[in-house]
Amino acid sequence: MIQFNALFSKEIKEAIRDKRALMAAFTMAFLAPVMIFVMSKMAIKEAVETPPAYVNISGGEYAPALMKHLADDNVFPMSEVEDADKVMWEKRNIEVFIPADFEESLLAGTSINVVLRADYGEKAHQSIIRRVRDSVYSYSRQIGYQRIMMRGIDVKLLRPINLAEQDTQKPSSNATFISLMLSIYLLFGAFFSGLSVAIDTSAGERERNVLEILLCQPVSTMKVVLAKLFAATTIALIGVVLTLILSTIAVGFVDLSQLGLTFNLDMKTAISLLILLIPICFFASALQLFFAFNAKTFKEAQSLVSIIIMLPGMIPFALSMMNDRPQWLDWAPISGQYLIMEDLFKGDPVGFGVLLVTGAFTVLMTVILVKVMAERLKSEKVVLALS
Amino acid sequence: MIEVNNLHKKFKDVTALEGLSFSAKDGEITGILGPNGAGKTTCLRTLYGLLKADQGSATIDGINVSEQPLIARGNLGIFPDKFGLYERLTAYEQIDYFASIHGLTGAKKKQAIEEVLQELEMEDLAHRKTVGFSQGQRMKVTLAQALVHKPKNFVLDEPTRGLDVMSTRILRNYLSKYKAKGHCILFSSHVMQEVAALCDRVIVVANGKLAAQGTPQELCDLAGEAQLEDAFVKIIGSDEGVAA
Repeated sequence: MIQFNALFSKEIKEAIRDKRALMAAFTMAFLAPVMIFVMSKMAIKEAVETPPAYVNISGGEYAPALMKHLADDNVFPMSEVEDADKVMWEKRNIEVFIPADFEESLLAGTSINVVLRADYGEKAHQSIIRRVRDSVYSYSRQIGYQRIMMRGIDVKLLRPINLAEQDTQKPSSNATFISLMLSIYLLFGAFFSGLSVAIDTSAGERERNVLEILLCQPVSTMKVVLAKLFAATTIALIGVVLTLILSTIAVGFVDLSQLGLTFNLDMKTAISLLILLIPICFFASALQLFFAFNAKTFKEAQSLVSIIIMLPGMIPFALSMMNDRPQWLDWAPISGQYLIMEDLFKGDPVGFGVLLVTGAFTVLMTVILVKVMAERLKSEKVVLALS
Repeated sequence: MIEVNNLHKKFKDVTALEGLSFSAKDGEITGILGPNGAGKTTCLRTLYGLLKADQGSATIDGINVSEQPLIARGNLGIFPDKFGLYERLTAYEQIDYFASIHGLTGAKKKQAIEEVLQELEMEDLAHRKTVGFSQGQRMKVTLAQALVHKPKNFVLDEPTRGLDVMSTRILRNYLSKYKAKGHCILFSSHVMQEVAALCDRVIVVANGKLAAQGTPQELCDLAGEAQLEDAFVKIIGSDEGVAA
């Protein structure tokens, strides 16, 4: 224990004294709340406000009433666009064609073909297209209802079925997009924060010629690996806790009620999150140490480990693509934690058992990695790579 | 007391050690001389328990290194070939770190550190971070960390490389003092004058084998040369004749 304490406190001292690396390690913690704040603001703006949209309307003069209806919905012809935005709207080039026989067809009661033409693939176009479409449909429906009423028919006949939609989302459910972002940031935080310590303490020490003398000391390689693992994990955990605290504070500044949403992180959820993320911090650091020790040079270690930190981004992405996912993904590191976090944020009850099983599986993999590392540090291959 | 018996070590097709045997006694400074690639570093790494010999054994105070590496290393102080420092720690913290690894605690540890700092006259360096230390200062820190637990045996791998005259003298004086206290010192070097001046016994290693051993004077006599350097060249130059 004396040895472990000495090894561990030395690693922590070194980690904390490298101030620049430490600041870099915690960027995720400081960046995540900013990102969440900005993106929430943008999402609210997009959902709540309907800023004026400018559309290339040809044949507007044939349908003044429709034009007025569109204008009521904040959709205007291109002629009214302000000079500052002109280039942008012209580039978007969303076109509506109104046929010359609009008035006639309306009087004759025949179907009128209005054309909406745009690049539907562009994300920026989608909300405008939706608004134009809704506006035209509602105008069309309005006329239809009037015609039927004029003939003395109850409009209700047109709606034989009324679909009442009921959302079973828990009242405590959090805004999905925020919890989604936060889960990914937390996982990233676990992988990113301990990264510099993990590389520095393994590949870095070898490059600085201090690993060999350590391996010559009367201390087991297991203790050496564990001390390094605990040091990197401590920093990773600090990063995760910071991310969690700062993000919760940041979300407080976003007025989610405009969307009819809430986001709160009660003590129980926060503790469950920590129980969930502690094993993943250990796992992340162990994985990074493993690859950094195996790398021949510091540079190689950096490249390998940067691939690892993509995992918490890629795995949730892959999960979201899968509709029927195999059972083992519920326990596998990263994916298991991500799925549980999803439930936690949705307010679904998460059993202690599930937390335990997923955690145990991650811990098991960490233990295997540690054992392999401790054995490898005894091997001649590693010793020969020192010189 | 360090003993090496019939060490054999092969790396794939390269034979590094081929039946090397020697012993370094307590109260003596034993020098290992050998051309580059003779197997000195391999031999020392086997002694530290980092490499396992294919055949033969190395013992430190009678403890077999490959069987009980941790106990054997406890009786060993090492001044490695390429030494680095933990540059974010102060000299004191670094020595403290190694003292703790050797199981020292509390007042005993503090006293041991104070003693070694005093002996090496490095009290004024103690609380500075080691980044930017001169080669001589680095040597002192490495020496202090190797000796803080007062090992019975002390192994140095080319310790004077890159040192100026003053630092070399400090090192030599320190080694002489250490020897006088009855410790066993084994050190490898390329500097003939140093070996001649310091060593009680010299072991010449060539091609992974013992080429000759004896006092510097005995080696000169054996080779029929006045200078140790000439004797050394002659001894390693031919496998037959003198060396046989």
